[in-house]
Amino acid sequence: MEREQKWRYVCPFFLLMILHIAGILFFTRGFLLTRTELPHFSHCDDVLDSPCFPPQSIQLNAIRDSHQKQKQQCWTKPAIDRLVIIVLDALRFDFVAPSTFFSEIFPDTKPWMDKLKVLQRIASTERFSSKIFKAIADPPTTSLQRLKGLTTGGLPTFIDVGNSFGAPAIVEDNLLHQLVQNGKKVLMMGDDTWLQLFPYHFQESHPFPSFNVKDLDTVDNGCIEHLLPSLFREDWDVLIAHFLGVDHAGHIFGVDSIPMVEKLEQYNGVLEKVIEVLKSQSGPGGIHENTMLLVMGDHAQTVNGDHGGGSPEEVETSIFAMTFQNASSVPSYLDTSFCQLDVDGEKMCISTIQHLDFAVTVSALLGIPFPFGSIGRVNPELYALGAGTLTMEDIIAEDSPRSEKWIRDYVNVLCINSWQVKRYIDVYSSSSVIGFSAGDMLHLANKYGQIEQNWFQDIHKILLSSSESCHTELSVLEEQINSYFGFLANIAELARSKWTEFDLKMMGTGFGFILFSLFVHVVAIKRVNKPYGDSQIEDYEISLELILGGIVVAIRAFSFLSNMEEGKVATFLLATTGLLNFRYSIIRRKMRREAVGFLLLVSVLRIIEFGISKQGAGFTFMDLNVWVILGIGKNHPFWFYAAETVPVLILILLLYLFYKYSAQGTSRWTVGIVISGTILSYMLLAIYWALESNLLTLDMMLKKFNRNIIAQIIYTIGFGLLAFVGLVQFLDKKKTVVCKESFLDKAVCILCVWSPTIILLLGKQGPLVALASIAGGWCLMRLQNLGNDDKHGISGVSTFHPLPVTQWNLLAVCLFFCTGHWCAFDGLRYGAAFVGSTACCMPISISARGEERDSLHKTISSIPILWIDNNHNIYLHDDMCYNSKAASNGMGIICSQVCI
Amino acid sequence: MLAFLSQEMEKDPVKASVTRNVAQISAIKVFWLHIICCLGLGVAFWLAYNVYTINLVSNAVQALRLIWLVEAPIVILLYSLFRQNPDQCSYLKAVGRGILGLPVGALVNAFGAIVLGAPIGIQLKIDTQPFQFQLRITRPLLMIRYFSRSANWSLLMSLFTVVPAASVFGSSWADWHRIFAHIKPIGAVDYMICVPAFGAIIGAWFGAWPMPLDWERPWQEWPICVTYGAIAAYLAASAASFGFVFVHNRRQHIKRD
Repeated sequence: MEREQKWRYVCPFFLLMILHIAGILFFTRGFLLTRTELPHFSHCDDVLDSPCFPPQSIQLNAIRDSHQKQKQQCWTKPAIDRLVIIVLDALRFDFVAPSTFFSEIFPDTKPWMDKLKVLQRIASTERFSSKIFKAIADPPTTSLQRLKGLTTGGLPTFIDVGNSFGAPAIVEDNLLHQLVQNGKKVLMMGDDTWLQLFPYHFQESHPFPSFNVKDLDTVDNGCIEHLLPSLFREDWDVLIAHFLGVDHAGHIFGVDSIPMVEKLEQYNGVLEKVIEVLKSQSGPGGIHENTMLLVMGDHAQTVNGDHGGGSPEEVETSIFAMTFQNASSVPSYLDTSFCQLDVDGEKMCISTIQHLDFAVTVSALLGIPFPFGSIGRVNPELYALGAGTLTMEDIIAEDSPRSEKWIRDYVNVLCINSWQVKRYIDVYSSSSVIGFSAGDMLHLANKYGQIEQNWFQDIHKILLSSSESCHTELSVLEEQINSYFGFLANIAELARSKWTEFDLKMMGTGFGFILFSLFVHVVAIKRVNKPYGDSQIEDYEISLELILGGIVVAIRAFSFLSNMEEGKVATFLLATTGLLNFRYSIIRRKMRREAVGFLLLVSVLRIIEFGISKQGAGFTFMDLNVWVILGIGKNHPFWFYAAETVPVLILILLLYLFYKYSAQGTSRWTVGIVISGTILSYMLLAIYWALESNLLTLDMMLKKFNRNIIAQIIYTIGFGLLAFVGLVQFLDKKKTVVCKESFLDKAVCILCVWSPTIILLLGKQGPLVALASIAGGWCLMRLQNLGNDDKHGISGVSTFHPLPVTQWNLLAVCLFFCTGHWCAFDGLRYGAAFVGSTACCMPISISARGEERDSLHKTISSIPILWIDNNHNIYLHDDMCYNSKAASNGMGIICSQVCI
Repeated sequence: MLAFLSQEMEKDPVKASVTRNVAQISAIKVFWLHIICCLGLGVAFWLAYNVYTINLVSNAVQALRLIWLVEAPIVILLYSLFRQNPDQCSYLKAVGRGILGLPVGALVNAFGAIVLGAPIGIQLKIDTQPFQFQLRITRPLLMIRYFSRSANWSLLMSLFTVVPAASVFGSSWADWHRIFAHIKPIGAVDYMICVPAFGAIIGAWFGAWPMPLDWERPWQEWPICVTYGAIAAYLAASAASFGFVFVHNRRQHIKRD
């Protein structure tokens, strides 16, 4: 009978759990746009698996000079030798294109237009070797995501599931990796975001900090200083210069401002000089004979200078491409350009390109393997710019053989391109958790099969025959190109819907489940309240409290509609309820101490929370402690000692509390055992921290060895006690007479069992948070009786008090933020996963340059990395650590400390 | 104006002392008191904008200081006229109590603000990029800025909340308890103190709402929007207070009839 009754109360919990799991699963399935980063890389030999021709075997390549043929050729025939990429952050399309293109949107010329005159002039006068593209970026339009997208040729989401969860460094195959892999030397200058993404790829880098938005010039001046001299050097193949001034000017002043115009004019001057230098060296035998210049934006910006979203203003940026040879012309069916007269009345044509296509087109131009995860297609117009040693006459004669040869070449490139994309999609859907749907895959496979069949039947023959082709063959080629385009567009569309669009139906279903669970909640609470009788009267009595609680919850709920700082809102509301409690306590003239104590506690929590909040992110990550945050000089010896000793002191205080409880004479022997186990754990914990601190100088090896063992002992004790408590619960069928006392015992037991492990994982502020939660809980329990008057006597355990329940909830939220978490993926405390495990950490000094970086890159790629954190610490397996330490020390890389 | 008010008070000294709790004050006097207090605020703002050319958004500290410096003598001198037991307590003593109440009330208000989330100078300006933080330079500056802002704001809030009660009631714990804990005002003086004070507190509470929003407007900074909220609600509550007193007096009148 009683058992049955018990189950009646337990049942709803299981039901709720199932509902919540289902709801969250459905919701996240629709909301979290996850993309798995694959660890595969493209290699030169891979192309032999494809149905297409490797570049050496095609006879039509004979147009190349003989000395160039001896160069190593990989996937495609290299069309350019060197590449200069100038990235202008937040470059709007209308900065580059002539103002006449925007006469419909802006009837009068805006001040920021027509400022990059040199690009417009060259695009209109040297129509055969240069072109302005309207480049469409994919959201999210933030620099880091865009650079990732540009170099990998994929669609980065905010959450890319991969090996390096926390660090921004790209682990996927990318353009830079392929460049390094194929012996190209990359020179970088400007925005240091590049170095975060590619820590070991650059031959030489001149990074400048991008954090200070108010600084318009540091990055740009640094860039200019290094850019022009570098152009005369021969020791690089790809040069990347990233200017930030326009982005910063937009953020501070907006687009329609004098600083913005000044910045653009400055860039115009710089670009003019760059083009002049490149031209002067572009003669036969010059170092820039076969160089391409790309001036591009990573994303655009609104007139207010914002970016990040997917509106046309933010997405439409520009690419200006220029070579110093005349390019081959593109057949009209490949030409996407739209022409208009520019300011000077010259005809100006502008084409469109997707950012998605950038990586693969540049790879094709440079003749390196396409990044494995790229889903773009080789853009014909940009590719044609590079693919030419053609003379003027060839272009004028429309159907000349050379232009035709370009088409043959392009068909082969597209074949490789489609094969590579198909391979990626196949590998992706077989290896990632949430792949593409089977129907889509089947459709794509059919389509690809058809194209491949075509290839073997017709195109093969046409390409192999070196003879002059007739018109019918050209139309067959055209058809093939169009079907490749169709296939690649299909895949891009599929990928976009998968990685950039929320699934609203899924989200709605999940939300529905959660709403339904709320209903179940209410029913369950009603059912529990019933046996205690007179619930109806009570409901009316505490209606004021109910309203207050409801208002607080509603405010918190509405605060989620905006991008608020959740922790601050929670503290604000908690403090408000605390103040109300304080008022009540004054009216009732009791428990004033608790009310004031609670307010003080809230303010202390706030101080901790602010310190550990997101602003402190770049800051000591693992052993963050409150005292440093409190703003007292970190180097002061007193605070140094305090930081080391205070956690231990608080630990002793906690110990005392537990001891006091057990000494109060509880009847149950189990509680005694649990508490003594906990006391042992706490002592070990204190020793663990003492070993970590720099107060005691111990031998490094000894330190590491002992500490891991200690952590493991603490885990073992924890699990042992947990098992013990569970066992006792099952075996102990005796009915306890005093319900409340046994409840208390159980609660204390569970708290004791969990606390050492959790405090260990939380790090040094752990004891403080534990103490705060105990104190907060105690205050709330005491104050709970404040609301209802004495007439009820002891408040029942299960009666419904809205305001205290709300307060408990808010306190929990505050404590969550106090422990150094925040609601973002980079707020996860990765370090906790390595506490007590046999891993070591290797801080990589970012200053490693040139050769060091090269050899480091080799070392890094040869050892399995567990994880890279935000501070560029690399975590390795224990046995790996000593080997790599020896290896890395030789390279001047600091691998001094064992972090964990 | 002051003379007029004190004359009014002196006309009826006996009655005021006899009916201690239910001090009868005509609604017109309450009206004048609130009007002068609100005009004081207006004058302070006018001075700030036109004479010193500062405003609350760009020069928060100076503007707040100016406002409370202008408002303090007005509030203390006016409310002291309505002191309890004018026989036992001289006018000067009431003024003294008001002056004493100013810093004490500021402390109470500052405590409340800090509990609710006012910054106290520990907001570090560390950029999120690894390897570069400019910790040591910015922190002392921020601390001083927030400290002086909080101090001036607390003094202003003290003028709205604690100082009138201090001038009128002194250390009479029962009155304080009645007004601020129970919120059961009886009589016109109670209304006159209680309604604007709670108005200012509630206004400041609501004024804090935009602060955590990510609009990145200059007025979202502590304590600008809080001050705006408090002042706006204080003005509204002053009007309400006059209304309450008017109705209250009318009802008393009818009862007596």
